[in-house]
Amino acid sequence: MLSTVLSAGVRGVDGFAIEVEADIAPGMPNMAVVGLADTEIKEAKERVISAVRNSGLEFPLKRITVNLSPADIKKSGTGLDLPIAVSILAASGQLNAAALDGLKNFVFVGELGLDGSLRPCAGVLPMLAVLGGRTAVVPPANAGEAALARVNAVAPKNLAELAGFLNGEINLEKIPPADFEAGTQEYFYDFSEVKSQPVAKRALEIAAAGGHNILMIGLPGTGKSMLAKRFPSILPPLTHDEALEITKIYSVSNLLGGERFLSARPFRDPHHTISDIALIGGGASPKPGEVSLSHNGILFLDEFAEFGRNVLEVLREPMETGVVSIARARERVSYPARFTLIAAMNPCPCGNHGHPHKQCTCTPVMINRYRSKISGPLLDRIDLTVNLNPVEFKDWEKKAEGETSAQIRERVIKARGAQAVRFKNSPTRANAFMSSREIKDFCPLPPGGGEVLEAAMRKLGLSARSLDKILKTARTIADLEGAENISKMHIMEVLQYRPLDRKGVADV
Amino acid sequence: MINENEKLARIKLNAFTYLRTDWAERMIEVFGSASEILKSDAKTLAARGGMSEKTAAELLREAHALDAEKEVELTRAAGGDILFLGEENYPKKLGEIKDPPFVLYYRGTLAAAGPKVAMVGTRLITPYGRRCAEKFASEITRCGAVVVSGLARGVDSVCHKAAVELGKPTWAVVGTGIGRCYPAENKNLAGAIIENGGAIISELPFSKPPHAFHFPRRNRIISALAGVVVIIEGKERSGALITARLAAEQGKDVMAVPGNIDSLQSGGTNKLIRDGAAALLDTKDIIDFIPYEERFGLDVSWLDKEDKKEFDNLTQQEKQFLDFIKDGEVTADDIVEGLKMPVQEAAAALFEMEIKGVLACIDGKYSKNKF
Repeated sequence: MLSTVLSAGVRGVDGFAIEVEADIAPGMPNMAVVGLADTEIKEAKERVISAVRNSGLEFPLKRITVNLSPADIKKSGTGLDLPIAVSILAASGQLNAAALDGLKNFVFVGELGLDGSLRPCAGVLPMLAVLGGRTAVVPPANAGEAALARVNAVAPKNLAELAGFLNGEINLEKIPPADFEAGTQEYFYDFSEVKSQPVAKRALEIAAAGGHNILMIGLPGTGKSMLAKRFPSILPPLTHDEALEITKIYSVSNLLGGERFLSARPFRDPHHTISDIALIGGGASPKPGEVSLSHNGILFLDEFAEFGRNVLEVLREPMETGVVSIARARERVSYPARFTLIAAMNPCPCGNHGHPHKQCTCTPVMINRYRSKISGPLLDRIDLTVNLNPVEFKDWEKKAEGETSAQIRERVIKARGAQAVRFKNSPTRANAFMSSREIKDFCPLPPGGGEVLEAAMRKLGLSARSLDKILKTARTIADLEGAENISKMHIMEVLQYRPLDRKGVADV
Repeated sequence: MINENEKLARIKLNAFTYLRTDWAERMIEVFGSASEILKSDAKTLAARGGMSEKTAAELLREAHALDAEKEVELTRAAGGDILFLGEENYPKKLGEIKDPPFVLYYRGTLAAAGPKVAMVGTRLITPYGRRCAEKFASEITRCGAVVVSGLARGVDSVCHKAAVELGKPTWAVVGTGIGRCYPAENKNLAGAIIENGGAIISELPFSKPPHAFHFPRRNRIISALAGVVVIIEGKERSGALITARLAAEQGKDVMAVPGNIDSLQSGGTNKLIRDGAAALLDTKDIIDFIPYEERFGLDVSWLDKEDKKEFDNLTQQEKQFLDFIKDGEVTADDIVEGLKMPVQEAAAALFEMEIKGVLACIDGKYSKNKF
């Protein structure tokens, strides 16, 4: 007897439909899975056999062929355990006629334990996109994703329960669609704990308001990591769409712990020994890298200059386009990667350059080499650079009286609101991602601004290429102020956050 | 007149690391010419030159290893020439010292008119040293003098740059061959010096790399070329102080910029003043020390006009900034906290002052750019 059950797989962060066909024919007891299945699916048959038996159901001792269609796309993941088991139950006549009729109204996804229980699997959220009005059957641990996707879904605890449900013997509660709750976030760290460093705080506020990338340069112990850790607390809360996007990526990477979906902006801080593939994503069967895992959130790279040069260079493409395309011989996938980069580095290899009391032991050549590790094209994509200076005892001793994160966040949300209005007819979401056309439209040069920029180019040796990023950042400052247009003051402030001179130390 | 073959031989002879000019001149008397010296073997040379056979062999090896024709070709291609001691066009002042360069390479032109003023100092320049160097170098250049320095980091570079920015010639005596640039970051500056009618000068073979002992030796050329030697900043033991000592030995006037007694980099200059060097307080002091016969053509009239307008048209806020910065280095953070003003306001004002040239910003630290 033949049966067909619907399931789904995932490619990149997009789901695609899979039909699981099972045919049971007389012959030597045997089970074959065909249709470009990966190792974990080949192993599925062992899990399915035990799960069916241990659920009080019968596993037919016949010749069983399972086909995964479309047969020319490689499939991986453990989510096909459940549809294979259901297809065998259907083909072996263990479901009643009504159940067989209704089978096409369900899409099954889930991993099976040997006892027949449903276990979580990766990529459920993107798979739910292929439902088309059908009801999803997902493991209980993935119920949060179904709730976020607002689809019809049930989450049986085990195979026996599912069989009962399909046969109409028991009723399963539909998973209620969850409204994404934002703004209830509790942050462990607060900006008011950071003493001194007013310029860096201001720069981070601008970065948060416009989605700008930022580079912090400072001596060890000046609070670079401290500031970066507090950055999420001044970001605006996630919107439902943004939450969906990042939950998809985390779902594909199987990093969604427990029953929850992602409600906070991701903060990723990979160590500087990370490989380029781990950062950008890839592998024989491509997986999202750190840049995608920090989509709609923050990628914090501490000791920026210590990262491998090839590792840093791969950042350029996603920083420009917000997407990573990974091409392998078998397949080509793309993952979203629109993150805010926070980079931190020391001013020199020994870390003491410019310290008021300590002696730097680096030669000018060493310092230049260190700073040159951040290539020009990469620096061009970083809108803000700040220097952090050691905090003196008299400042440290003072009680923290800085603004709280909530106060700053309020201003950031206001500025983002202005941007939402500005970009309502555009795929752009924040000032940092404006196209050159949008820069022309929304960032007209203020009176006197031309002279300032001209003087900056002459005196500070700025390239014409950096003018765009100055205008983008000035736009954000104007938004923070609630100003209609950029003013000369805004541009002059941006110029304060310019990168370190390459020949900095050796400069005369 | 020295014929071409003899010139090539002298270029070869000059390649010997430890060549002393007085010894070379005597040997030319003894052998008849430099070509004859190079034709002899180590044993003869050792016997007649009063040196060990080993040294003589080393001299001959180094001399023969250098391709003199290539040297001439490279120097000409780089837009320069090679001068020989005793020739007409060899700088007269240089020929007068005890140990003049046997052979002198240069790029650019030595035609720059006006008195030559040597200005040297530490490589580890302080904001104070930077201000002084910039002020004195640009003012003396505007008067019509030519600044002679060493193209090193710090004070030397600031002095050269000040002249180049005015579009005036300046001479750089370097501690490498003229075909090299040390430190490498001064490549553009070296180019600008030549463009503005200045010169890069060296006694070393064209492609000689830098070596520690080249630098104290080239200092004697700096002081010899100039009529007066100005030390901007320097520790008690420093190259600048070596230049001062050599200048005094050559009978030149030495001037030093006084500094705080607790400033390490002013230790050398203060000591010089205590030991009898003239304290340099004003550009006119330099003019007074320029030998009388060289003063022709100097234009000092504008010095009296007091070029201090820049500080008159400062806003109230900018004056407040300057009061706060005083003579030190201050970060934007310090200003924001010290003056209790919003970051955006301070940032804009700092930028404006930097563009005006009132403040200098180095590695995020602001200091006064002028007096």
